Amino acid sequence: MTVRLARRYGFSASHRLHSPALSDTKNRALYGKCNNPHGHGHNYEVELMVRGSVDAVTGRAIDLAALDRLAEEQILAPFRWRNLNEEVEAFRREVPTTENLAAEVDRRLRAIWDDRFGPSGPRLERVSIWETERNICQVSDYE
Amino acid sequence: MELSEEENSHIYGAAANPLGHGHNYIVEVAIAGEPDPVTGMILDLKHLKEILEEKVLSVYDHRLLNREVAPFDRIVPTVENIAIDIWNRLERQIDSTGRARLYSVRVHETNELFVEYRGEV
Repeated sequence: MTVRLARRYGFSASHRLHSPALSDTKNRALYGKCNNPHGHGHNYEVELMVRGSVDAVTGRAIDLAALDRLAEEQILAPFRWRNLNEEVEAFRREVPTTENLAAEVDRRLRAIWDDRFGPSGPRLERVSIWETERNICQVSDYE
Repeated sequence: MELSEEENSHIYGAAANPLGHGHNYIVEVAIAGEPDPVTGMILDLKHLKEILEEKVLSVYDHRLLNREVAPFDRIVPTVENIAIDIWNRLERQIDSTGRARLYSVRVHETNELFVEYRGEV
């Protein structure tokens, strides 16, 4: 039987929303307070939703310890307490909006997913990121 | 197939403690359907509440799932299996009410983990 399992993690990081393609005035108008040159921080939450069939012996749809290790390695350790603009390669080129952050988390996990869980194992169905309680961005594999 | 004590503790970690452990589970049930043109509802929520109480909460609440709630005398009470069992207990009850059908059952085991079942084989 196919279920969806969602696991949630948290990390704190800082960023500044500023596009090099726009003038300082346009950046300020577009991003407002988020354009503060000194940056600002968030307590991000990441939810990974996985679709898999429940193993008849273990009753599990995925090896949770392996999922936790993957998240720690690929997302939490590289992002935790970092300045995303300066310390995460992808955000030297892209603005670290919640949209781009969700896409980067999705890319990092998919790049290594099949090595960890096998091509016929559980699938990563959706990555969601809460920047605040009111600002959530999702990337799904079926869109 | 049976797993050894060692394999069990490797797979489930602290959750394999022989003395068990508890959770404050939260169950979220989603119903889909066309609203009734007169009442504007797809299902009377009072009725849903009664079904949930009778078929799920009164059966599960404050029980040792492994011993006191079938089918967990036979299968492992992971949150995956709990979501599937709750679906099985509710599906026909909700169908019998007409407009509404059960869309999903979500069981939150902790703030960091939930499983959703939509009746897929």
